[in-house]
Amino acid sequence: MLYSTIGYYSLILGLGVSLLIIFFSVKNFQNSKTISVNILSFTFLQFFLVVVSFLSLIISFVLSDFSNETVFNNSHTTKPFFYKIAGTWGNHEGSLLLWLLVLTLFIFIFILKTKNQPIKYKLLTLIFQQIIIIGFFLFLIETSNPFNYLFPIPVEGLGLNPILQDPALAIHPPILYLGYVGSSIIFSSALAATSLNLVSKKWASHIKKWILASWVFLTLGILLGSIWAYYELGWGGFWFWDPVENVSLMPWLALTTLLHCILVLERKSILSSWVIILSIATFTLSMCGTFLVRSGILNSVHTFANDPERGLFILIFLFILIFISLFIFFFFNKNEEKISHSFFWLSKETSILINNWFMMYFLSVVLIGTVYPIFLDVITSEKISVGPPFYNKLLVPFLIPFLLMMAIGPRLKWIKSQLEDKIYLIILLIISILLAYLILKNFSQNILINTVLISSAFYLFFISLRDFFVDKLKNISQNIAHFGFSIFILSILFNNLFSSEIITNLKVGETFENSETKIVFESVNQKQETNYKSIIANFNIQNSNGEIDKFSPELRIYNQPIIVTSEADIKTTLMEDRFIVINLVQNQNFFNVRYQVKPFMLWIWLSVILISIGGLLSFLKKRS
Amino acid sequence: MNILKVFLIFFFLIHLNSVKADDQDERNQITKNLRCLVCQGQSVYDSDSEFANSLKILVKQKLNEGLSENQIYDYLKIKYGEWILYDPELNKNTYILWLLPILIFLIGGVIVFKNFFKKKKDQL
Repeated sequence: MLYSTIGYYSLILGLGVSLLIIFFSVKNFQNSKTISVNILSFTFLQFFLVVVSFLSLIISFVLSDFSNETVFNNSHTTKPFFYKIAGTWGNHEGSLLLWLLVLTLFIFIFILKTKNQPIKYKLLTLIFQQIIIIGFFLFLIETSNPFNYLFPIPVEGLGLNPILQDPALAIHPPILYLGYVGSSIIFSSALAATSLNLVSKKWASHIKKWILASWVFLTLGILLGSIWAYYELGWGGFWFWDPVENVSLMPWLALTTLLHCILVLERKSILSSWVIILSIATFTLSMCGTFLVRSGILNSVHTFANDPERGLFILIFLFILIFISLFIFFFFNKNEEKISHSFFWLSKETSILINNWFMMYFLSVVLIGTVYPIFLDVITSEKISVGPPFYNKLLVPFLIPFLLMMAIGPRLKWIKSQLEDKIYLIILLIISILLAYLILKNFSQNILINTVLISSAFYLFFISLRDFFVDKLKNISQNIAHFGFSIFILSILFNNLFSSEIITNLKVGETFENSETKIVFESVNQKQETNYKSIIANFNIQNSNGEIDKFSPELRIYNQPIIVTSEADIKTTLMEDRFIVINLVQNQNFFNVRYQVKPFMLWIWLSVILISIGGLLSFLKKRS
Repeated sequence: MNILKVFLIFFFLIHLNSVKADDQDERNQITKNLRCLVCQGQSVYDSDSEFANSLKILVKQKLNEGLSENQIYDYLKIKYGEWILYDPELNKNTYILWLLPILIFLIGGVIVFKNFFKKKKDQL
C-alpha cells in the first residue's frame, strides 16, 4: 500500500521533471556556452524518481502486496523469490515501467558522456528524448498504471504464467529493452543532428557507439528469447516466424543496416540522408512492435494484454513521432552530398549499398508478412495465415547472393580494388561448392538449392576464416561478426536438413525400437514443489552406437494459475542436441513421446554470441 | 582447412543418418503447414491439442485415400477457411503479399544501380 503510493507519486513527479527539463533546455538553448547544471541534475533526478518507482513495484512484488492490482494479477505467495522479482517486468505495466527506466537512464548517460559535440545538439537531443519520455509517462499513468489499488485486498494473487517462470525469460525483456531504447537515443540524436545540420563524419563516429551498443543488446535479447522458446515451448524449434518474433527482428534488420551505413558515413560523408531515414525507421519499428504486441491485435504466444485503449494511445503517439520526424527530415535535411568523393563501382561502399538493398528487402518481407494479414482482415474480413513457408520461399533464395556479397564485399578495397591477387576468391569458391556437393550427395539430399545455399555459406566461412590469418587484427570485429554469421547459416541449414525425429505413444515399461534408436520408458515418479507438482518420466535411450543415456522429461502442473507445462530434457553436446519431451493424452494411460536429434543446435546459439562479440569489439575499439 | 574438411566429412559419415522420404515425412510436411486453430501461434505438427491430433489423423487418412498434398490443402481450406494454411496461396487476396516484396527488391535494385552510373559519370 505504502510502496504503491510512493511508486505512483514518483511517476507523477518524474513527469513534472520532464517539463522542467524541457523548459531549462529551451532557456539554455539561447545562451549555449555551457550546459546548465540544472539540466544535468534534473535529468538525474528524473532517472532517480523512476528508479524509486521501479523499486517500489519490485518491493510490492516481493512482499506480495495484493492491494496492488498488478501484483494481484501476476504474482502469488508460493512463487519462488527470484520469479517474484522477475515477475515485475513479466507483465504489461511492469515492462513499460522498465522501458521508462531504461529511457531515463540512457538519456542521463548520453548527457553525461557525450563530449566534443555542440551544446545545442546535446540540448536538442535531450528535448526530443523528453518528448518520448513524456509519452511513456502519460501512457503509464493514463492507461497502464502499475500501482492501481484493489479493495478489498485479496488474500491471494492470480500467479504468473508458468511458461514465463524461467531464467532466460527473466532477463530477456531487460536486455531486449536496452536495445529498443538505445534506438530511441539514435532517433533523437538523428533528429537533432538534422535540425542543426550537423550530420557529418564527427557525428557519425559519436553515434556509432550508441548504434553498436543497441545492436549488441538487441541481438542478445532476441537470442535469449529464442533459446527460451527452444527449450520451454517444447517442440524443438527456435524460430517460428511468430508475429511477435518478427516484430523484434524488424528493428534488428534496420539497425544492422544502419550499422553498416554509419561506417560509410564515418569515413566518407556520404549516404547521410539514408542514415537519418534508417535511424528514424529503427525506432519507429520498435514502437510499431510495441503497438502490435500491446494492442493485442496479433495472435501470438506473447499476447498478454488485450486492451484497445492502450493500442489507440500508442498508435496516436506513434503518429505524432512519425509526423515530427518527417517534418524535420523534409524541412531541415540539406541534401548536399559531397559528390567530390566519386567512387568506383567495385568498392566497399558499393558492397555496403548492396548489403542495404538486400537488408531492406528482408525487412520488407518480414514487415509485409506480419502486417498484411491484419490489413486484409480489417478491409475484407478474410483471415489468412502467413507462416514459415512464406518466409522461406521469399527469403532463402535471396540469401545466396547476399552471402556471396558478404564474402566478397569486405575484400574490396575501400575506394578501388583491383581484381588481381584475388585468385583465392575463386579457389575458395570451388572448394565450397565441392564440399557442399559432397556432403549432400553422401546423404541423398541432393537438392540444387541446398547445394548452392550451403556452398555460399561455406564460401563466407572460408573467406572469413582465411582473413583471420591474413589480416590478423585488422577489421577483426567485422570479420568475427561475418564469420559468426556464416556459422549461423550453416548450422541452421544442417540442423534443418539432418534433424531426425521419433513421435510415439508409450506406456510405462514399454519400448520403442527402430533401426537406429531404442527408447525404453523405465518409470514415472512424482515430486512436489512449492508452486507446482511434477511428473517425471524416466527414459533410457540407446543410439546407433550402442550408447545408453538417461532422459527425464517432466510435466509440471502449476498451482496458480493451474497450467500444465512440459519441460523438455535436452542433452547438449558440441555436435548435436538430443531433445525429449512428453505430453499427456487426455483420457489415456499412455504418454505422447517426442524424441528429436538435432545436429549443430549449440552452434546456432554460439554463432549469434560470436556475432555479438564482433559488435562488442567494435564498440570497445578506440578509433585512432 | 584440409583438416577441417576431413573432419567435417568424417563427422557426417558417422553421425548422421540418411533421411528417407516416406508417408510419415509427407504427413509431417503437410501438418507443419497447417495452423492449429485452437492454439496460440502453433502449427498442427507442433501441437498436441486434441484438435491438432484429430487433424493429424485426418491428414493421414486422406493420404491413404490417395489425395495429393495440394488436394488435402484444398479440402481443409473449404472445411476451415484459409486461416488454417500457413502458406498462403497466390490469389486476388494475396497478390500484394507475394508481389510487393519482390517489387520493393526491384525498385531497390534500380536505385542502387542508378547510383553506380551516376557516380561513374561524375568520375569521367
